[in-house]
Amino acid sequence: MRILVIEDDRQAAAYLVKGLSESGHVVDAAHDGDEGLQLALATPYDALVVDRMLPRRDGLSVIAALRAAGVDTPILILSALGEVDDRVEGLRRGGDDYLVKPYAFSELQARLEALARRTRPEQQQTLLRVADLELDCLKRKVTRAGQNIPLQPREFRLLEYLMRHAGQVVTRTMLLEHVWDYHFDPQTNVVDVHISRLRAKIDKDFSPPLLHTVRGAGYSLHVPD
Amino acid sequence: MSRIRLLRTTTFRTALAYACLYSLLSAAAMVFIYWSTASYIEAQVDERLRLETNVLLARYQSQALPALTEAIRQRSREDGPRSLFFYLLLGLDQEPLAGHFTRWPGGLEQDFATLRFDQLFPRAPPGLSGTDPVRVLATPLPGGYRLLVGRDLNEQHRLLEHTLVLAGSVTVATFLLALGGSLWLGSRTLRRIDAVSRTAHEIMAGDLSRRLPVTDRDDEFDQLGRELNAMLERIEQLMAGLRQVSDNIAHDLRSPLSRLRNRLEITLLEARHESAYRTELEQAIRDADELLKTFAALLSIAQAEAGVSREPLAPVELAGLVEDMADLYGAAAEEQGIEFHWQVQAVPPVAGNRRLLAQALANLLDNAVKYTPPGGAIALTLGMRDSRVELSVADTGPGIPEADRERVLERFVRLDSARSTAGSGLGLSLVRAVARLHQAELRLEDNYPGLRVVLSFASAH
Repeated sequence: MRILVIEDDRQAAAYLVKGLSESGHVVDAAHDGDEGLQLALATPYDALVVDRMLPRRDGLSVIAALRAAGVDTPILILSALGEVDDRVEGLRRGGDDYLVKPYAFSELQARLEALARRTRPEQQQTLLRVADLELDCLKRKVTRAGQNIPLQPREFRLLEYLMRHAGQVVTRTMLLEHVWDYHFDPQTNVVDVHISRLRAKIDKDFSPPLLHTVRGAGYSLHVPD
Repeated sequence: MSRIRLLRTTTFRTALAYACLYSLLSAAAMVFIYWSTASYIEAQVDERLRLETNVLLARYQSQALPALTEAIRQRSREDGPRSLFFYLLLGLDQEPLAGHFTRWPGGLEQDFATLRFDQLFPRAPPGLSGTDPVRVLATPLPGGYRLLVGRDLNEQHRLLEHTLVLAGSVTVATFLLALGGSLWLGSRTLRRIDAVSRTAHEIMAGDLSRRLPVTDRDDEFDQLGRELNAMLERIEQLMAGLRQVSDNIAHDLRSPLSRLRNRLEITLLEARHESAYRTELEQAIRDADELLKTFAALLSIAQAEAGVSREPLAPVELAGLVEDMADLYGAAAEEQGIEFHWQVQAVPPVAGNRRLLAQALANLLDNAVKYTPPGGAIALTLGMRDSRVELSVADTGPGIPEADRERVLERFVRLDSARSTAGSGLGLSLVRAVARLHQAELRLEDNYPGLRVVLSFASAH
């Protein structure tokens, strides 16, 4: 992917560029809002990482300008402001996801890939399929190898989210945010328990296993290599 | 400088405008009074002149000229009865026959006129000067004689002058009083404004405890002062809250930060192999993550405690929240062989912050799952009691001895019995802070066995 990082803290920017390059992305960096906006308008990127507080032109204004210019590249906002209304404002102004500093690199990477691979038609897609696992959003029905798997409503939403992001890493906080709609930090591994229950239903009696744990990062649903 | 400021005050300008207006009105009234007094006096004098003339005329008609001459002579004698009138009887050859006056004023035939004494005498009579005014009535007598009756206007003019001086004085006094009043009002306003502005400066200089002066007059300044004081009160509270927050965070993060630093320092001193460095670095990252978690928890606590969260309290449906949490934590509890029960009654919404309430409830459930042994049970209930909304989490774990129940709510306090489990000692502190923010009562009770934590809210309406 080609990614633009707009971050005024040069050390933080260098860290992001290095980390993302090592993950196989092509990364550019801009250190103020104006420079970032120029680059983002001139070059077709797959994703943008925008710090909220930037010199010359703040992050939200860069995003608003890009959206006004018809650029719909997915944008991940980075911010040291963590209050819920800051998050809401960031998303309202055209950001696609919001990550509060400090963050783990694996979290940023997972969210960025989730954003970049998200394409509009997929949002409308009602029949999701990974190998022989099928999820029908309209009939609220899940089958694997043609066999019906009854799921609780929450398990269904969990699986739907994982399948929409098949092949990507999704973190525990992403699941908590999107499946449960809570932005807090549980001390116990509440999400893990739900994953293991889901795994018992969709993987236990079938082969190959599809729901994998990614150590130190989260989970991923895919056909093993 | 302060004089110029005084002249610029709105109060002074308004008062001055009124002063000018009233002085003008007063002057107009005085002019009118003067004018009507003058006309009245003139009419009076003329009436008397006419009467006196008529008396003399009657004598002339009944007793002919000598009687008239005699009467005038008598009236004109200096030692005669004191007369207010002056006379002149003119013969056919224009020679004075009797009276005080010695010459006839030129051009006057038959009318009233106001003249000066020196037009009638070569020398003014004693006690009068030539320029003093005199009112005369000229009357032609049948047979060619002419009669002039005059009356000294000095007294009347003095009265009018007096009236004029009085009118002028009243007008000037009115203006001066009004001006003085304006200055007084202006300076009074200015004094109060100055008091407010002095206080404002002191507050801006950092003394947030200062308050605007409020008198017992209860005027508009006092009302404004009270409103502003209430605002200052609130600002001071919030500032104190913020200061408390930063103090606490600085204090609470210093020790874990120095632990992290120590670990890195010791690693530099001791480790020799790359793998040893790697292990220590990984541990340092874990430490940093813990530190960040602690930081986030402290920030939440601090915000809840200070009540300065930028999210306003809004009606929260606790039932939905409890259901979500039961779904989230029920599985975790059952996974550890703990029975999980939950029960929700229909309750009115409470004014709250959904995120903080969720975090508080999650903390309570985290604790319950952590400390309840396998085979135990956790009960999450939401219901009404004494018209308050009660949210409770009960477990069958070791519980908290009564003596420690207050203490465990403090930051970083962990009971000895909890040392073996993971945790920061901030969970219940956050619950307490959230409870305070929502003005909810937080009770730690014995669950026989175990712990029962109750949050009791006033319903939103």
